[in-house]
Amino acid sequence: MRRGKREISIFSGKGLYGALVRLVAFSLLWAVLTQGGGGWIIGVPAVVLATFLSLGLHAPISWRWRPMGVLRFIPYFLWQSLRGGIDVSRRALHPKLPIDPAVVHHTLLLPPGPSQVFFANTINLLPGTLSADLHEGHLTIHMLDAGLEYVMELKRVEERVADLFGVELKRR
Amino acid sequence: MPLNEWIGLLFILAAAPFFLAGSVGLLRFPDLYCRLHALTKADNIGLGLLILGLMIQSLSLADFLKLLLIWLLVLLAGSTAAHLVARSALRQGRKPWERR
Repeated sequence: MRRGKREISIFSGKGLYGALVRLVAFSLLWAVLTQGGGGWIIGVPAVVLATFLSLGLHAPISWRWRPMGVLRFIPYFLWQSLRGGIDVSRRALHPKLPIDPAVVHHTLLLPPGPSQVFFANTINLLPGTLSADLHEGHLTIHMLDAGLEYVMELKRVEERVADLFGVELKRR
Repeated sequence: MPLNEWIGLLFILAAAPFFLAGSVGLLRFPDLYCRLHALTKADNIGLGLLILGLMIQSLSLADFLKLLLIWLLVLLAGSTAAHLVARSALRQGRKPWERR
């Protein structure tokens, strides 16, 4: 897989480092879920098992978010997903069921890798879009309403995700 | 009841219609793809408001972190599951419903 330059870092190829990152992450997850209350007799085996399982399912990949990108992304995402929830609720409850679904194809401008997957997941929570397949940079999207202005909207989301990951968008 | 519990209650009450709408969409929408829209988007906002309400009611950092984590994990799981269900249906050749 081709990777953007920012994604090549100390993370890649170092299995031990990748395992350590996940071990710490799962330990934190346990600590938060148990509110630091312990239960480590179960927690330690669970964390170790989860680490092995996750490494077996997915090799360590490196990605990072830019702190400023995160700060810009969160309010945008919250607002858009609120819009998405209100939009679909309105359509579901409306007596006439105002939907006009269609399948559209979108060629991603984001580089291959985690940012594309993140983008596909993000648009599931935005108004009217559901990512149905992601294959070599081509995203198949189910639209709840074909009349929506989706092209510009998707481009904007891609810009936000690129800003979050600190990657460059391809030029068309 | 202290003020923060009342404010929290408002958010929790605001969450309920979204869960209702998500379920109504599940029943009324014509095919699998449309139903996935209803489930992921409406439930995401419903749960978000519910969690916000609970955070306001609790006012404890430990609860705050735990609730935030729960919301993020459900968000990730919901969105990923919706994508996988839609992908599998599409690859099996299920035609999306269209309005004629």
